[in-house]
Amino acid sequence: MSYSSLVSIQQSISDGEINCQKLVDYYLSNIENSKDLNIYVEVFENEAREKALLLDKKYTENPDSVGQLFGLVISIKDVLCYKDHGVTAGSKILKGFESLFSATAIQRILDEDAIIIGRVNCDEFAMGSANENSAYGPVRNAVDTSKVPGGSSGGSAVAVQAETCLVSLGTDTGGSVRQPAAFCGVIGMKPTYGRISRFGLLAYASSFDQVGVLAHSVEDVSILLNVMSGYDENDSTSSSRPVDDYTKDLKVEGKKKIAYFQNALQHESIDKEIREQTFNLIEKLKAEGHEVEPVDFEYLDYIIPAYYVLTTAEASSNLSRFDGVRFGHRSDKAEDLIGIYKKSRTEGFGTEVKRRIMLGAFVLSSGYYDAYYTKAQKIRRLISEKTFQIFEDYDFILMPASPTPPWNIGDKMDDPVEAYLADIFTVQANMVGIPAISLPFGKHKNGLPMGIQLLANKFEERNMLAFSKNLMELFF
Amino acid sequence: MNIYDTYETIIGLEVHVQLATKSKAFCSDDTTFGADPNTHISVISLGHPGTLPKMNKKQVEFAVRLGLALNCEINPRNTFDRKNYFYADLPKGYQITQDASPICLGGQLEIKVGEEKKTIRLHHIHMEEDAGKLIHDVDPEHSLVDLNRAGVPLLEIVTEPDFRSAEEVDVFMNAMRQLVRYLEVSDGNMEEGSLRCDCNVSVRKKGDIQLNERCEIKNMNSMRYARQAIKFERKRQIDLMEKGERVAQNTLNFDPSTGTTSPLRQKEDAHDYRYFPEPDLPPIVLSEQYIEKIKLEMPPLPNELVDKFSIEFQLPKYDVGLLTEEKETAFFFLEICKKTNNYKAVSNLVINKIKPYCNEVKIGISKFKVSPKSLAEFADLIEDGKVSSSIAYQRLFPALIKEPEKSPEIIAQELSLFQSNDEGFLEKIVNEVLENNPKEVEAYKKGKKNLIGFFMGQVMKSSRGKAEPKSTSTLLRKKLEK
Repeated sequence: MSYSSLVSIQQSISDGEINCQKLVDYYLSNIENSKDLNIYVEVFENEAREKALLLDKKYTENPDSVGQLFGLVISIKDVLCYKDHGVTAGSKILKGFESLFSATAIQRILDEDAIIIGRVNCDEFAMGSANENSAYGPVRNAVDTSKVPGGSSGGSAVAVQAETCLVSLGTDTGGSVRQPAAFCGVIGMKPTYGRISRFGLLAYASSFDQVGVLAHSVEDVSILLNVMSGYDENDSTSSSRPVDDYTKDLKVEGKKKIAYFQNALQHESIDKEIREQTFNLIEKLKAEGHEVEPVDFEYLDYIIPAYYVLTTAEASSNLSRFDGVRFGHRSDKAEDLIGIYKKSRTEGFGTEVKRRIMLGAFVLSSGYYDAYYTKAQKIRRLISEKTFQIFEDYDFILMPASPTPPWNIGDKMDDPVEAYLADIFTVQANMVGIPAISLPFGKHKNGLPMGIQLLANKFEERNMLAFSKNLMELFF
Repeated sequence: MNIYDTYETIIGLEVHVQLATKSKAFCSDDTTFGADPNTHISVISLGHPGTLPKMNKKQVEFAVRLGLALNCEINPRNTFDRKNYFYADLPKGYQITQDASPICLGGQLEIKVGEEKKTIRLHHIHMEEDAGKLIHDVDPEHSLVDLNRAGVPLLEIVTEPDFRSAEEVDVFMNAMRQLVRYLEVSDGNMEEGSLRCDCNVSVRKKGDIQLNERCEIKNMNSMRYARQAIKFERKRQIDLMEKGERVAQNTLNFDPSTGTTSPLRQKEDAHDYRYFPEPDLPPIVLSEQYIEKIKLEMPPLPNELVDKFSIEFQLPKYDVGLLTEEKETAFFFLEICKKTNNYKAVSNLVINKIKPYCNEVKIGISKFKVSPKSLAEFADLIEDGKVSSSIAYQRLFPALIKEPEKSPEIIAQELSLFQSNDEGFLEKIVNEVLENNPKEVEAYKKGKKNLIGFFMGQVMKSSRGKAEPKSTSTLLRKKLEK
């Protein structure tokens, strides 16, 4: 038994081959068998079984009464709130914390009868590109357990990769869904900023964060996007623009114009084989009749510095609420208010989180604000303008999801700057707020997965998904 | 010349107005004052992980209303910023405020200090959220936190340093209180903290142009404390300067028990608030139509009513003050004045009878059950000399309250309260009074002219108040001086 899409599962249920209980059993046994990968922070075993039983009954009584996500077993990243369930952002500072409400995205999938099987490991507060910065320890790549799975949604990527669930919800602030998807050979998509409500997503950098989906098939990404998208009064930055049906008629009409950045593919940091395979793909697309052209993108080397200035600035403020006063970890060594802050935060946060809080507080501090924060904002604006300019002439931008294949666990722990540079191809989508998807395309000669990325203009998810489906069918 | 008189005090204010919205600035928690601690809270006001602010539109409307009343320029594109600092009453570790683009710019409020008019210029008004409250006097070992107030919407009004005395500050704050109550944007209650101010105080030699270092005084929850604090601070700063020392810029706490100020925090703890744009709230764009609509719905303002009552209605200053103090009273008065031109009689009636009555039975004056039309009629009865004012107040008013639906004229008729200036009727009573008081008549004739009051009283008594005073006095004098 192995399922790659919700449609096939729903077909099997309707054919009487399987039911929700059997599905849950299947995924629970896979979770049990993959414990060494350190995917799950918590498995909602009994709850998932009970829900499956109820749903099977509901379906037997009236097959039309079940929701769109009936038969979907899903895991969620440990930064998404699920009422009366723990949520810790992979951090000691939230040890034992249970959310009093459900994230809008979570509520919407529950309303459509999804079964949440557990919450999965991630980098602490979604800060990292290798899932090594977690209080629960690193997640391992199922293809090669000595390798990192990418991050920060590493748990989500491996959860899908190791078939412990059909899909997983991650979050993407600078590539946290797409890069681990690439490292684990699954699909990872982040929608337009504002398409899915951020209410109930533990904020890392508010103007960058989006909920994203990791799955085996474009169809599953589409149906989840259908369910989760749309305005939410609890998130003022969510878009009130009507939601397309991302599942209907996912066909590519006509030939597309696709841009790529010559300097990105020639970048010093890029792996030789990834470059070659990307150029191969470009040739294949041309052979299909699409126009694929190099365009200049002079801001490539500014992306990472600007991104880290802006995201750490927001993070330094977003993480202030973890102060040991109202919830989460409070140091028992504290003797006064300042002591509660200093000791609780010192004990509760991991090294990378502390580094980013310090960096963020620094770039916002008086005297440095203009030199860093203001300048980074300007760069963000320039990058956005340039990107939208490209989309005036092109349907998509194509580039690898990561300049390198997965590295060994522990390899980049001592060099944060090198680890930051791993985000070079993914952060553009978050800087601009546009949708992007990483698709698994072939294998590196060392046997590790690779991901190719498509970026589309704001709210062009439908076209992006249609083209992705087409690409998957043709080449991968 | 006293050395203190050679200095002038320069004061600027930061006034915080708590808005009378039903729910908080960025979530739907109730804002009613006085609830049990930590009962008006939610995951949003507690800053739980994953929560986001959502804008209360009323807050914006109230800000625009106040801004228009103060002649401010309304900023059409409003953004919010985060002010970052750690404190136990601040759940998120930052306050949502407006730093870069406040909703109101400039503006001014005219105040009257004694007989002199003075314009206080405003720098700006911005929107922000309040913090919670720390309670230090309940538990001997711990400070307790009450977050009911956390997230309640505030407007901060920042003035230019235009004040020169504590008295001016006092007048300004009273005028501000009156204004926010007229506009119904706040209850303006200082005791409950709905209206509070921080004072920036500096001193300089009279004639100097340069401003010296200033100190900000916080924690003054009444105007009495503010006056004390300013006076203390003025003396402290002058004493320092006279000793040749520098006044260090500092944030000071006022201690009401000693009447003194002391530094709130040490210099090394000086805050860098690391303001930056609030990414969770998109800009709020105010259309011209939106602002125009609020402008059209504006009630008459206290200053406009003061002018109307004193110039158009020719009322004395004392009356104008009492009538315009509260919008409810002013509007009630105006309603009656739509039915009569006897403004002074109406003013007397409102000030001397209706207000005290409403205070006594503890109702708002707008709830007073006699219609403006009847009250106008009541005033006319007095002014036309049909019922004496003492009879009207002592007998007609209570009767009218008992039967508020009935016309005062009919009641006066039924109780035969109309005063008389019928010569025959008057003469009979006057003659009786003079005959019954021969000693007093003699004394009067010998020059004790002030006995006229005694005779008047006697006539009033005998006529049960119906004798019309003017005619009575004329007749009395005529007879006595014969």
